[in-house]
Amino acid sequence: MKPVAFDYARPRTIADALELLDARPGAKILAGGQTLGPMLNLRLVQPELLIDITRITDLITVTETDDGVAIGACVTHASIEDGAIGGIASGHLDQVAAGIAYRAVRTRGTIGGSLTHADPAADWFAALLAFGAELEIAGTTGTRRIALDDFVKGAMETDLGPDELVTAVHIRKCGREARHGYHKICRKTGEFAEAIGAVTVEEKTGRFRLVAAGGSHAPVVFTDPSSLFRTADPLDVRSFDVDMTAAALRDAGMNADDYDLRLRAVAMQRAVKEAAQR
Amino acid sequence: MTRITLTVNGEKIERDVTPRTNLADFLREDLALTGTHVGCEHGICGACTVVIDGQIARSCITYAVTCDGAGVRTIEDFDDDPLMEKLRHAFSAEHALQCGYCTPGMLVAARDLIRRGSAGDEDAIRTGMSGNLCRCTGYVGIVKAIATVAGDHDVSREEISQADVLGPAPGPAAHDSLQNIQRDAVPPAAEKRRKERVAAPTLASPSDANVQTGEITQDGSFTKLTQTITVNHPRNAVWDLMADIEKVATCMPGVSLDGPVESNHVDGRMLVKLGPINADLKGEADIIRDPENWRGVIDGKGRDARSASLARGRVEYELAETDEGNGTLIAVSIAYSLAGPLAQFSRGAIVRDLVTRLASAFAQNLEARLEGREPDQDAQALDAGSLVFSVLWDRIRSYFARLLGRKPG
Repeated sequence: MKPVAFDYARPRTIADALELLDARPGAKILAGGQTLGPMLNLRLVQPELLIDITRITDLITVTETDDGVAIGACVTHASIEDGAIGGIASGHLDQVAAGIAYRAVRTRGTIGGSLTHADPAADWFAALLAFGAELEIAGTTGTRRIALDDFVKGAMETDLGPDELVTAVHIRKCGREARHGYHKICRKTGEFAEAIGAVTVEEKTGRFRLVAAGGSHAPVVFTDPSSLFRTADPLDVRSFDVDMTAAALRDAGMNADDYDLRLRAVAMQRAVKEAAQR
Repeated sequence: MTRITLTVNGEKIERDVTPRTNLADFLREDLALTGTHVGCEHGICGACTVVIDGQIARSCITYAVTCDGAGVRTIEDFDDDPLMEKLRHAFSAEHALQCGYCTPGMLVAARDLIRRGSAGDEDAIRTGMSGNLCRCTGYVGIVKAIATVAGDHDVSREEISQADVLGPAPGPAAHDSLQNIQRDAVPPAAEKRRKERVAAPTLASPSDANVQTGEITQDGSFTKLTQTITVNHPRNAVWDLMADIEKVATCMPGVSLDGPVESNHVDGRMLVKLGPINADLKGEADIIRDPENWRGVIDGKGRDARSASLARGRVEYELAETDEGNGTLIAVSIAYSLAGPLAQFSRGAIVRDLVTRLASAFAQNLEARLEGREPDQDAQALDAGSLVFSVLWDRIRSYFARLLGRKPG
């Protein structure tokens, strides 16, 4: 249970980190290491070089933007749990953060690291898909911004190039009337979830995003989920059709058995219920 | 070796470490602080919990080199801590330990939970302590002990929050002993291995209308799935192509052969990429063909030397004529099993979907071959991993497009 020998670098700027990434194809970014650490110890990942980005000041910031907040890639779950991103979404994301793994993991695990790893069972992934979050990515040829929906290519697969680095997560401030719901089903607290439902409803703008995630299947985002309800009211939980949703997930290509599909549909139902009660 | 400077239990320490040395091993082996226990070594059990710059952390998945400039506290440093003293007494009184292996981690985590004011009731304590495993007590004594202490501890505001810390400890402001890239002593064999790079596999343009994947079942350690592939070529042509193992192998993303097929036996390798995991399975396959029944069986096994993971697989196929002899229906059944770390880590469905996806890619490439095209003719060069869900993803996108009444973009 010891990792292979690797080199270690601790750049102080994003540019230096990118230069290293470009020069050493066998390099891996270390952004907190709460997923990478276990994989290194199990020797599932055998990098030539670890690039520790946790001392790059520009990645450890929370900045208010015109339309929301930009969270640096190396901001930990624990600091978000403790209120670092302020009143965005009435503390909804603070609660999501508090539900990630365990406190001793949250103090080192980072939002950028989690999203880059793109585990379909990870909390940020599902929660921020429901928010329609965007990522800021820096590469040797420049920076770009991409919607999380486009960033995720599947389970543990993203649009990130080998010489690129996620630098920040942009979350748009929702209106006061916006409602959020998040529900995960797991056998043991803090475990990777078997199923996650996440929802954001903004009645004023008509924005409605309902996410099915968890387990090992690529997440599914419904941007117009009204067909999953028997009535027109998106927050009428009683009219949310679990059977229809399970079928829709299957139609969407989720190659899971009936139990798994239903589990996701139920998680979505509970997320909707939570949103409705707020 | 890398020189690091850090404070451990109030004492300034300067030591050389290899980058791969985790903090727990550093504390135990280099500093003889054996109160920190190493249990699972992959961040599950919590026995190795220590405090880094005021925040609890898993020392088995935190590397010592990353703690350069940090202040670390282990269980040994809490002898005179008033809150810890109360916890120690409560743990004794409530029989909150038996073998004691989990206890240092339990105490460090419990103290943190109480300090943060998160030990309000039994539910909160059980949730807050769920990252620390105990195999003796059944937790009842532990929960009671923590509840007793939490009940008469006044939480002070300044103890609680990490909101102003933002990043993992020690952060940019800490002392930094490091100047350049620090190199671990790399064994020559590993150096050589690193230089061997396997070419990224390729895939024909994704369209899988002619592939149907049936139900996935489990039979002991074997996962089984069936696929039917319809191709617009006569059975004879398909049968002949299937005889040419070298060509067939090029249809499988990530597969390369080490030599020609001799007496129905071939050696080769398969590169599979799954997120940050690269598995390079080296192995062999035996091929049996039954021309009378248009059936064939390929039995293969491979080993990933890096992770010491084993994979076994059996592919059976049967060809039937369709479309009045103009087309062929290939019924494929695949059974595979994984053993070793790869199996341990990978959650079943991720591998299942990978296999399904690889099988679909194989079918598309086979059709390309039948049409006389190279499998990679229209392909983007992709590693096997990024094949995993692209088709599923396309389907999802087209599904949304249907929902939204738009054409898929």
